[in-house]
Formats: sequence, C-alpha cells, structure tokens
Amino acid sequence: MIASAHASAGGAAASSGLPQFEPSVFESQIFWTLVSFFLLMYLLKKYVLPPIITILDSRASRIADDLQKAEASRKEGERLLMNYQGQLVAARQVAAQTLDEARMEANRYREQALEELNKELAKKKNAALLEIEQAKQKAMEEVRDAAVELSMLAAEKLIAKSINAKDASRMVQEAVTQLGKQSQLH
Amino acid sequence: MDFPFIATAHAEAVQEVAHTAPKMDPLHHFQVVNYIDINPLGLDISISNSVLWMWIVVGVVIGLFHLALKNPTLVPGRLQSVAEAAYLFVETMINEIIGHEGKKFFPIIFTLFFFVLFCNWTGLIPGSFTVTSQLIVTGTLALGIFGFCIFLGAMHHGWHFLSFFVPHGLPPALLPLMVPIEIISFLARPVSLSVRLFANMTAGHTVLGVLFFFTATLEWFGAWLPFGFTVVFTGMEIFIGFIQAYIFTILTCVYINDSLHMH
Repeated sequence: MIASAHASAGGAAASSGLPQFEPSVFESQIFWTLVSFFLLMYLLKKYVLPPIITILDSRASRIADDLQKAEASRKEGERLLMNYQGQLVAARQVAAQTLDEARMEANRYREQALEELNKELAKKKNAALLEIEQAKQKAMEEVRDAAVELSMLAAEKLIAKSINAKDASRMVQEAVTQLGKQSQLH
Repeated sequence: MDFPFIATAHAEAVQEVAHTAPKMDPLHHFQVVNYIDINPLGLDISISNSVLWMWIVVGVVIGLFHLALKNPTLVPGRLQSVAEAAYLFVETMINEIIGHEGKKFFPIIFTLFFFVLFCNWTGLIPGSFTVTSQLIVTGTLALGIFGFCIFLGAMHHGWHFLSFFVPHGLPPALLPLMVPIEIISFLARPVSLSVRLFANMTAGHTVLGVLFFFTATLEWFGAWLPFGFTVVFTGMEIFIGFIQAYIFTILTCVYINDSLHMH
C-alpha cells in the first residue's frame, strides 16, 4: 500500500502531488509515531487511568453504601412507625377505658344522688303524712270533746233530773263510738 | 492513491493566480518540514513539524487529563466529569464490542482514541500541523493494530486462526472463490483503516485551505461568503475529527474482537 502510494507520488511532479507521499520523511514519522503513541500510552497508564479508576470505584462503593444506609433507614423508619402505631392503639385503649370508667363513675354518682333525693323526699312525705295524721287526730279529738260537751249539755238539759251519771256516761260512749265509725268512713 | 479533483483544482488555481501576488496552495498545510536532522546509525529520526505536533498532542492530552484529575473529588467538577465520561465512553465501547475480555486492551484503545482525536483537533488550529493527515502516520498505526491483531489471533488460536478465512456453512465448491476474497478483505483492513482517516483529514483541511485562500484574496463584498463557510466548515471538521477518531477506535475494537473470537 505504502509502496504503491510511493510510486504514484514519485511519478507525479513534486509540485502537484500530495506532500504526504514524499517518502523522504516516512522513516522519522514511523519512528516518532510509535514513540509518541507508546509514550502517551505509558503516561496515560501511569498518571491518568489510576485516578479515574480510583474515583469511579470509590464513587460506586459510596453509592452502594448510601443505598445500604438508605435501606437501613427505611427499615428503621418502618420499625418506628410500627412502634408508634402500637403505642397509638394502646393509648386509644387507655383513653377508651378512662372514658368508660368516668362514665360509670358519673352513672354511679347520679344514681346515688337520685337515691338520696328519693330518700329525702320519702322522709319529707312521711313527715308530712305524720303531721297530717296528727292534725287529723287532734281535730278529731277536738271534735269528740266538743261533741261530748255538746251531748252532755244537751242531755243535761233534756234529762236533767232522771238520768244518773252512769247511764249518761254509757250513752256518751256509744255516741262517740258511733261518731268514730262515721269519721273513719269518711 | 491520488485526488484528481484536488490536483486539477490546484493546477487551475496555480495558472489563474500565477500573475498575481498570492499563490493558492491548499496542500501547503501537509508539507512535512524537517527542523532538526538526526541520523544516528543510519536511522532517520529527524524532528519535523509532524513530529513536533505529535509531541504537542501527547502534551495536550496528558495536560488536560492532569488538569481534570488534579484534585479528584467524589462529586466531580466539570473537567473531571468530562474525563470520567471519556473513560466510560471508551469502556462502554470496549464492553459492547469485545466484552469482558476487552478490559486488558483498555490502555491501547484509550490511547489510540485520544491520540487520533487530538491529532485531528489540534490540526484545526491555524498554523498548526495535522498529524493524522499523513498517510504514513495513520498507516503506521493501522499496520501496528493489524500486526497486533494477527499476533493476538495466533496466540489465542494458533494455526486454527487460519480458519478465519474459511466462512462457515459454505458449500465446499465455493471455497476456492471465497477464501481468497476473505484473505483480501482481511488484508484490506489496515489499508481502509489508514486511508479513511488520512483522506478525511486531508480533504477537510484542503477545503478549509481553499476557503481561507478565497477569504484572504477576495474583495470584502465577496470574502464574507467563503469566510462564512470556513466558520461552518471548522465546526464540521471538529465533528468529523471526533467521528473519525471514533471510527478508527471502534474498528480497532472490532478487529481485536475478531482475533479473540473469530467469527
């Protein structure tokens, strides 16, 4: 290939051929191309590739680390969430229990109050009834006394001379019993 | 290997402007000039502009990477990101084409890519020299790769490597036809590899040379057109420089893969 290029370049006039086909400069260029190439390869291998590989590797391991850490954090977060949810459930239970207790307490309180009130009312009612009874009794006594007096007065006037005290007393008793029966019926 | 259109255009241009002061010579850029003649033991290792620019390329590549990796940090800066991207770019290329075994060829492929890329790119600096426009340079690289691949194939497969030239599942009657074709296509590899790069660089820089010549010699009302083209074409050349370096490298990977895994 080079030989044929050489031939064609050699055949053409030096002024109109491509300068690339001038064979006198080939030797040094072959030599220096090889030298430059291998020099560049040596320098790249020694000074350029190691830092790139190092940094790429360290970044890769860093990313892997970070991913691992993120995974761990996620798990930790999940655990915390579970904990929190458990605590929440427990707290809800406690709250519900407290509420129930309070409700029961309140009920008990209300019932107690109601009972006391009822007792009080009953007591008051009894007292009132007693009072009424007493008043009635008293009124009856008064009425009886008045009736006795009245009957005695009437009997005295009617049979002042013929009836002795014994008969009179019996008759009054009968009248009073009669009166008591009548008043009980009312 | 010659470029009739360049030669004709060149000749016409020479005739046309022969009587005026500026002489159009778009191929001047490719002229290798020896600065220092060194001939120890009959070996010519003279320092020419081509050699100087090879050194500059080596210096630029190392310098840029050094700058990018001066203080490598876990969270990369811009230059460091570029350096890492370059590394990963080559690594991906090798992984996709050669596979896991390709790892040991990383330094060669990496060096090849950046050597060719920066030879292509530094050549775009006005007044510089495009190393890869020299067929002898691209040819040296291509033949080196070719020889390396044959060496690899022989190491891995021994004489069995010769079956590389016998396509699978072919009727035996066609073998006398196919084997020579396979051999020729195999031998054509370094030729196509080197000529592709050299021709691309030469053509691109010749076009730029012509455009610059017109920009410099035309009156102002005509000069803006070639000047605009030089701007566009320089951008184009940056792209082509990358693409050619990429093709050169990726074909190297393919050839290495062929040597390792045959077909």
